Amino acid sequence: MKRKLNPGYIYIFPAVLIMVLLIGYPLIYNISLSFKDVTLANLAGNDQPFVGFQNYIELFNHELFPVALKNTFLFTIGSIAFQFIIGFALALFFSMNFKLANFLRGLMMVSWLVPLTVTAMLFQFLLSPSVGLLNHIPIYFGWIEEPIAWLSLPEYAMWGIIITNIWIGVPFNMLLLATGLNNLPKDVYEAAAIDGATWIQRFRHITLPLLKPVIMIVMMLGFIYTFKVFDLVYVMTGGGPANSTQVLSTLSYQFSFQNFDFGLGASVANILFVILLIISIIYIKMTDEDEVAS
Amino acid sequence: MKHTFITKKSFWLNVIGVIIALVYLFPIYWMVITSFKTQSEIFQVPPTLFPKDFSLASYTGQLGAQLFGMVGNSFIIAFSAMVIVLLTAVPAAYALARYRMKLTGIIMLFFLVTQMLPATVVLAPLFISFEQLNVLNTYIAPILATTTLGIPFSVLILRPYFLSAPVALEEAALIDGASKFRAFFTIILPIVRPGIFVAGAISFLFAWGDLIFSLTFIRDQSLWPLTAGMYNAIGQYGVQYNFLMAFATISVIPVVVIFLSLQQHLVKGLTAGSVK
Repeated sequence: MKRKLNPGYIYIFPAVLIMVLLIGYPLIYNISLSFKDVTLANLAGNDQPFVGFQNYIELFNHELFPVALKNTFLFTIGSIAFQFIIGFALALFFSMNFKLANFLRGLMMVSWLVPLTVTAMLFQFLLSPSVGLLNHIPIYFGWIEEPIAWLSLPEYAMWGIIITNIWIGVPFNMLLLATGLNNLPKDVYEAAAIDGATWIQRFRHITLPLLKPVIMIVMMLGFIYTFKVFDLVYVMTGGGPANSTQVLSTLSYQFSFQNFDFGLGASVANILFVILLIISIIYIKMTDEDEVAS
Repeated sequence: MKHTFITKKSFWLNVIGVIIALVYLFPIYWMVITSFKTQSEIFQVPPTLFPKDFSLASYTGQLGAQLFGMVGNSFIIAFSAMVIVLLTAVPAAYALARYRMKLTGIIMLFFLVTQMLPATVVLAPLFISFEQLNVLNTYIAPILATTTLGIPFSVLILRPYFLSAPVALEEAALIDGASKFRAFFTIILPIVRPGIFVAGAISFLFAWGDLIFSLTFIRDQSLWPLTAGMYNAIGQYGVQYNFLMAFATISVIPVVVIFLSLQQHLVKGLTAGSVK
């Protein structure tokens, strides 16, 4: 007897088909692209010479590659460190029982939903040395004397973008951490309170250890979503000034769509992909273990 | 005594909470009111908290016409992408929750990984493929590309909703003679409706907020969505922030509308989709 196909696969097929065609196939195409010399001239044709590892060799010797790699890590670590600390503080505050807590926490999610292009442009305005609020306010209070041209000075530009990204990411960190806090067992806290544990002791010895799985998930997700940054950098600085904000994704874009060296651009994209894939696998492994444990 | 103490404490917590949220969202307020200021008022020191000359100049005239043309383009792209996402992700999530399949684990993994990939990785191959298919410079290219943002996300957040819908109800309807489709539409769909709203809303916003696909795939400015127009406007209008903030304000309207109409569901759905 012939085995019948599980009807579930029919329902799944269209979604998987789209993802395979539009994501799976391009990923494989990128691998082959990175071993070829492809420019605008031979883009559509079949005349694309195979060059072996030449694109990768060129990339590793390119002065901008280590710069972009370093900047991507700086951006990622700078962003998630502050997003996490501020998000955690706010999660603790909003986990105290008061009437508007849930509503306000939800309201702040708006910053996460705003299109990145809008946020990028808005913060360009806020950070502007002539009219920016983030220069007016510190000057008003006397914290700085001169306005800072955040986005046009190489030593500040990356921090300008990081500040923007912190604003975007805080509510998401807060939301996930707050959910974790809500799920912590209440009786442990009551027992600790009876034993006379101070607020700080409870935080260090109960909250942090119990929350560790959630903290790890927030950190990993944060890493994945921050590491792939493109829009913010592209709109706010375009990788400048003097490549001080050049990250892997903008470098790949620049090689492919400004220099029209698609092979070299693909090699950067593949390196970005491999790094993200490794982190994603670690993240998935971690959440799987969590599921087994709970 | 104790009672008054608690209400007093929670009163102050509410006040502090409101202040935090107001400070946090102040940039959005600043964006909106700047779009109604005149050029000279923007450069005033100290800046004004509310426009003295409430000006509609950023929304009218030639700029306004350009702006609303782009709203139309954004809407076509985002709405089409959302429809495709829902048509494919709803059945997929349903099957992944309901059918015992050998490949369930692998398919879930596939969606998880694809959700984490950056657009930049697939950009050049898609550009080349779309060029060969002759769909560059049409709505089709960004619509197809942006569905890849919504599909994995929607499948992942919808599956828990389907898992929580009782199988017994559906079976009862089938025994009563309802067709499979009827049972799905009358029994299951109402239960998972909040999930579908969230999936649809987020997919819409993903496509609405896309910049890189539209900018790369569309050269014809009359087809540009707001995001691409905005990017171009930064170069064109420079420090005319009232114009730029008008672009931004219009782009944020769907976010606010969606947020206000779906608030609780949205927050619940987003957490469910990220931490299982």
